Parts: sequence; C-alpha cells; structure tokens
Amino acid sequence: MVKAYYIMIAGVGGQGTVMLSRIIGDAALMRGLHVRIGETYGAAMRGGAVHSHVKVGEEVHSPLLMEDEADALLALEPLEGLRRGLTYLKPEGVVVINTRRVYPIDVNVGVAVYPPVDRIVDALRRLGGVVVAHDFTALAEKAGTSRAMNVAVLGAFSRVIEGAETPFDREVLVEAMKKRIPKRWVEVNVKAFNMGYEVADRALK
Amino acid sequence: MPKHVVGVDQPGLRAVLIGNEAVARGAIEAAAQVVAGYPGTPSSEVIETLSLVAKDFGMHVEWSVNEKVALDVAVGAAIVGARAMATMKNAGTNWVMDMFATVVYGGVSGGLVIYSADDPDAFYSSTEQDTRPLAKAVGVLILEPKDQQEAKDMAKAAFDYSERFELPVFLRSVTRICHSGGDVEFGEIRRSRNKVFFDRHYKLPFRWNVYGPFKYGGKVGPTAKHAWQLERIEEIKGFVNRSGFNWVEEGEVPLGIVAPGIGYSYVKDALTKLKLDGRPWILKVGTPYPLPEDGLRRLIDNVDKVLVVEEGDPFVEEQLYAFMKEYSPEKPIYGKTRRQLILRYGELGIAQVVNALARFLGVEAPNIPAGRRAVKGEVAKILAPRSSALCPGCQHLGTYWGLRFALIKAISKFRGRMRGVWIVNGDIGCYEQGGYGIFAKEIKVSEAKESRRVMFNNPYEILDTNYIMGGGIGVAQGEFHAGYRDGPIVAVAGDSTFFHACMPAIANAVYNKAAITFIVLDNAWTAMTGHQPSPASGVTATLEPARRFRVEDVARSLGVEHVWVVDPYNVKEVEKAILEAIETSVEKGVPTLVVARRECILQVVRRLTREGKELATYVVDEGRCVGCRLCVQLGCPAVGWDRERGKAFIDPVLCVACSLCAQVCPVNAIAPSVKGKTLRDYVG
Repeated sequence: MVKAYYIMIAGVGGQGTVMLSRIIGDAALMRGLHVRIGETYGAAMRGGAVHSHVKVGEEVHSPLLMEDEADALLALEPLEGLRRGLTYLKPEGVVVINTRRVYPIDVNVGVAVYPPVDRIVDALRRLGGVVVAHDFTALAEKAGTSRAMNVAVLGAFSRVIEGAETPFDREVLVEAMKKRIPKRWVEVNVKAFNMGYEVADRALK
Repeated sequence: MPKHVVGVDQPGLRAVLIGNEAVARGAIEAAAQVVAGYPGTPSSEVIETLSLVAKDFGMHVEWSVNEKVALDVAVGAAIVGARAMATMKNAGTNWVMDMFATVVYGGVSGGLVIYSADDPDAFYSSTEQDTRPLAKAVGVLILEPKDQQEAKDMAKAAFDYSERFELPVFLRSVTRICHSGGDVEFGEIRRSRNKVFFDRHYKLPFRWNVYGPFKYGGKVGPTAKHAWQLERIEEIKGFVNRSGFNWVEEGEVPLGIVAPGIGYSYVKDALTKLKLDGRPWILKVGTPYPLPEDGLRRLIDNVDKVLVVEEGDPFVEEQLYAFMKEYSPEKPIYGKTRRQLILRYGELGIAQVVNALARFLGVEAPNIPAGRRAVKGEVAKILAPRSSALCPGCQHLGTYWGLRFALIKAISKFRGRMRGVWIVNGDIGCYEQGGYGIFAKEIKVSEAKESRRVMFNNPYEILDTNYIMGGGIGVAQGEFHAGYRDGPIVAVAGDSTFFHACMPAIANAVYNKAAITFIVLDNAWTAMTGHQPSPASGVTATLEPARRFRVEDVARSLGVEHVWVVDPYNVKEVEKAILEAIETSVEKGVPTLVVARRECILQVVRRLTREGKELATYVVDEGRCVGCRLCVQLGCPAVGWDRERGKAFIDPVLCVACSLCAQVCPVNAIAPSVKGKTLRDYVG
C-alpha cells in the first residue's frame, strides 16, 4: 500500500497556489491514487492569504489536514509559509520556501511588523525537517516570467523528495505540469522547474 | 476537445474536479436542458463550468440577474417538461423562497434541481446559514454529498428523483465540497433529452396555476395542492430507505455514528487517525431529509448511544431527537446540542471530528507534545496578520479615496447644521472590503447615546453597515426616515448588485423622497465571485453579445434626477462629484446617484498580458518622498512602507501602473518607471 502523502501549499492570491495543487493532484491521479484538495479561494481578489491542503493516497476521504500532519510545506510567500507551517508542518516535514515577501496591508498601514525572512526560515527549521529557501520569484523571472514561481518551487520540491518514500518523482510532476499549463507557457515553466530543481540540489549538497 | 474536461464523453475517465465542477458534470450526464443561477461563492463554478460546454450539449445556461429570477426560469423550463437546475449560495436560497415554497404545490414534470451551496465558517458569506431547514420547511427531498464523486452522482440522480416524485429536489453542498478537489469517475451521458411540451392539465387539473380549481383531499385550490404534495413526501420517505446514497456500516462495539454529507468523510479519516476503523457502527446519510428510517432503526438497535457528525446546524440531530422520542427514548444522542461534542458554529474540520470521536469512543485523542507546543508558541510571536485587501490598482481604491475626502468636506460644509457623523451603508461585492477593517487593530466599543465619529485612514474602514445584496440602499432610507440628520447618508453597491436587488429600492427612494446619496461602483463584472458577466458587461454567460445596461439610464428612468458619472482613476473628479451629490441630496431632499465606472483592473490586466503587452511600474523617488504616508493610506497592496527608512516603496511585482498613488502624493514623488507603458497609456 502506498503511504498517504500530505502537502500544505501556502501563498497569497495570484501566486498560483491553486495551479500548484492541481498539478500535484493530477500527478497523484497518474499514479492511480485518490486525491483530496482543500481550498478556499479568497474570492477572486489578489493578495489575500490562500492555502491548499493536498492529500493523496489509497484511502483519503476528507479535504483538510490536521495539525502537524503535512509531509511537505510549499511556501510561495514567507509569512504565509510561516503561518501554515506553524500549524500543519510535521516535525520531519520538508519545506520549500520562496523568500520574496508580499507585504500585508496591516504592515503597510503601520499596525504590524513583517518578520525578517531569515527568522521565518529559522522558525521553519525548528518546526520541520529539511528547508530549501530561495528567491524563486527572481529565479522564475530569469526563466522568463515571475508567474512561473510556483513551478520553480515545485521543481525544488521534486529534488527535496528524491530518495524519500513519496508517491511523486520528478518525471510525474513535470508530466502533470505540462498538461495543466497552457501550451505557450510550457517551455518557460519547464525551464523554471529545472532551475528550481538545481537550486534545491545545490542547497542539499 | 471540449473547453472543460466535464464535457468529455468518456465514461470511466477519472479527473480531479472541485465539487461544483462535479455537479456540472452530473447535470451533463443527466442531460439537463436549462441551468440558471446568480454568482455566489461557493456556488458559482457550476454555471461557470457549464457555460464553457453548454453549446456542445444544447444546454441553455444563463446568469440570471438574481437567484429568484433564476429559479423562476428553471421552474418555467421544468413545467414544460425540460430538465432544469437553479444554482445559488445560501444567501441566494433565502431570495428564492417565495417561488420555492410555491412551486411544490403541483410540482414539475421535467426534473428540477435546486443547488444550494452553504458556507460553514462564512469564508465568503455574511452568515453561516444552513439552508437545509428551508428545504424541509418547503417539503422536498434533500440530497447531501459526502465528496466530489457523490456530488456528481447525486446531481445526476437528482433529476431522476425529481421526475419520479414530480417535486423539485434540493441538492445541498458546503464550501468544503464545492471548492475542494477530489477524484471523480465519469459516468454515461444520458442520450435522450426530455421532450418540451405544454399541457395545462398535465396529470392534474390546472397543474401549473396554484389558484386553479384543482380538487383534492376534500379541498380546492392551493389547499388541495398542499394535500397532493404531502402525499408525495410520504412516498419519498419510503423511497429513501432504498436509496444507494444511504447505508449502514456494521461495527464491533455498540456505539453508533450518524454521518450526513461531508461529515461521513471526516468520520472515516478520523477513525483511521484514531486507529479505530470498523469499530463503531456508522449510518452514512445522503438524504438528510427525509431520513432513512430503516437504516436508523438498524443502527439504533445495535448501539447504546449515537453521535451525529454533520456540517451546519444540528438539522439531522434534531430530527433524530424527534425520531428517538418514539423509537428508543432511553438511548442518548451526542452532537451539537444537549450532549455537545461539536461546536454549533464554524466548520466541522477534521481536528474537531477526531476529538469528538475520541471522547465519544472513550479513547485518547492525539496531541502535540508540550515541548513542541512551546516552540510553536515562541515562533507564533513573530507572525503578522494579513488582512483582506482590494487588489493592486483596484478602481474601488480611487472611489473610496474620493468618498473619504468628499465626506470630510461635506461635514465641514454643513458644520452647525449637522454633528458631522456620516453613515456609509455597504453592500455585497468586492467593495464590501471597505468594511473588513485591519485585523491587527484593536477596537474600543462605546456606550455613547449620541452619534460618534469614527476616524480612519484607509479604505478598509469606510463602511459603517453591511448586510445583504441590495440592503445598503434600503437601510439608508430607513436611517433617513427615522430622522437621522447628524451627517450625510450614503449607500454603495456594485453594478451586479445594482441589477440584482437595488432597482426596487431606488424606485422606493424616489417615491418616498429619501435624501440619500447612492454610489454605484460599476466595474462591468460580477468581480468578487470570479468575473461572471452582469447586465453591465455586454455579454451573456456563454459570451454571446448582449445589451449593455447603463446604471445611470436605469436610475434616471426610475426617477433619479441628479446623476454624476465619473472615472475612479481620477480621484479629484470622484471627490467633487460625490461632494456635489451629497450637497444636492441634503439641499433638495431627494436621492442622488454617482456612478464610478471603470472596468475591473484584473480583467484589464489579464487582457493586456494575453496580448503580450508589458506594463511599467510606478516608483517612489526617495529624494522627494517626505514620508507623509498619504500613498499608503490609499490602501493599495502594492504600496508599502519602509519603517526603517521612513519612505514609501512600490512592489514592482504587484504594481499595475494605475497612477492612483501618484495622484494622491502631495509632493510628486511617485512616477512611472521608464520601462514600458502605464495602464492608462493602454486603456485611457
């Protein structure tokens, strides 16, 4: 029996959390597994906190994770990564985190302080296992568009889980990604995926 | 290739669908002919999805102007024999009650399905309201899916059931079904379509006219139709015992769980978590009304006590109390009421179900070790909240900026005549974020018995009241007629809300002479729910060209004489128009209207991106920036504040070069970067 695998994806509206959860869901389907994805969309607007609970396995029924259940945290924004990691990341859970900040309005109007990103990364190291932190937005820009940031994070994730017992590997994730992404953006996204993979590879060595 | 996977005619195909897409697939498999609804999160994706493939299946799919009209349309289709569905969120179900409560008197010939999406935990709604009691009050079969697969299967079966009992079927979903993804296996698409025909006396005399002289049960007219309906309900009560959506799972210990809808899925995962799979007895309920009494009896005969795990109100639980009073009064019921293990508010969630099951089954719930709890406590200290905000470059930011300063100027103008406490009545749409506030701020309440001005410096605290679709314009009139004269009375609404529910209220304001100022934030789309077309868009749900309604034309025809139409990307113009509108309404004692019109920025930027057009960004010249923070007060998520340097900055990833921050900067420190064109270079 394939061990159930749980992923928490955290970000803000417009960053592509939903696309990422769909790619991972499709990859699980290709593996013949059941999928549950728990999401709220924060209306249509940009910039609100968005997170996805992704559960795949032979026996999954409900869409939400419990505290400390996430095998992996994919954080598209540091503060949101900390927010969800704090609740859902399990002690040995792996983390890929984009260090590019998106300021909340609370910080902009001066009633809250954005924590330093290195403190966020340290906090996630204390809460979980391996952490790969990088400015994946800049990386995706180099690949051709900042909008491929989510896929760059996915590429890094595919490297982080190498050797671990998960339903996923690099091939199936790339395959699923190619099916979901509009054709004219596939090339850029494959590039972003590979660049993300390389970043994680260097970080882990 | 169909434009959406739900249109693929391949039984056995598996795809990850959200619940709403699954319902859309169910409607396709059932060969539905007419589907109408009004956008409302979390229900909208049913029609959004169907609109992409409607033509492939000869299906009429429409966004109606409101849910009540949508149900009227669906009823019309169903009485001429077609299979029809109306979709809505919980609030919309309140809107349709008049028709819903009436159509059951005589019922339908084509299958009629009412899809109602509830929102436990109020992720996107004014309330957590459970709509199942409404459907029970009316007296129809309720189906409630446990997951996406069942959402598809039930949507399909609902049409058959409706035709079998000649009554509408109520399909109740919740956010965690509607918006959660799950793998769904496709079934066969029904090849035959219902024949469309009309017969006044179809099976019953005067079938489609509640006042028709129909005789039944010794009565005539509506009462006779009521008697007819009650007999149908009795048939349905028998039928649900044989429904494949209800079943009993045998257990090993005399403890029973009744699990309607998604409650069942949580129970299954929770039992696995507790390593108690197969231990308690389970009654899985797919028809929360009427309940499957055979299944209930079997469960109760085998257990000493029962726990009900359901999303929303204790709806099944209360029915169970009524049932048990006769059947087995000594066995205790646990759930959300007398022996409470689950909160009555908020969503169920897996953690709550695990804890409730652990207590009910007498085992230890898994918990977080104290050491780890302490680490979490420490880490949590650096966390900052993220309040909901309008989008970068949102045109409403310009309208709210103009409104804020127009109000300040108006009260200074009316000093001596008014205390200077305005009321801004909100409504439902993106602009409702004008009342979401800033989460990190602490609010002091007052016991004052007189009007008190509340100051704010951002658009997220501008709305004083907000309730329901179209509510603001009516509430404003009540404030005026009660004699409130301490300050100007304003109401805001969007274009889609205007057509949904504001028109009668405007006629009322003119007719009854309410001196209020109404601001319509017209962005040409039902933006908050995902940019569905409205009568202001010029296209239908299936993107056919349609008449484009102008809010000001409609308002003028309803008798509003003083109207201003402005561009929210010109903050001075907006401020001037609103100030004039307030003055005119106060001086002349009539309603006035300001239409702030500019297409939703997300739509504009999407179009430009598709065309491969590059946008410049605005940048702050730090040498010129005096740190006054006016630009930050605009409330645009792209405008940040660097605490250490005491300067504003603009996030180049978020900025859409709308120019609003540059307009509000008093020292001209904000200008477009040299690279690329600004938004207004492209769209004016």
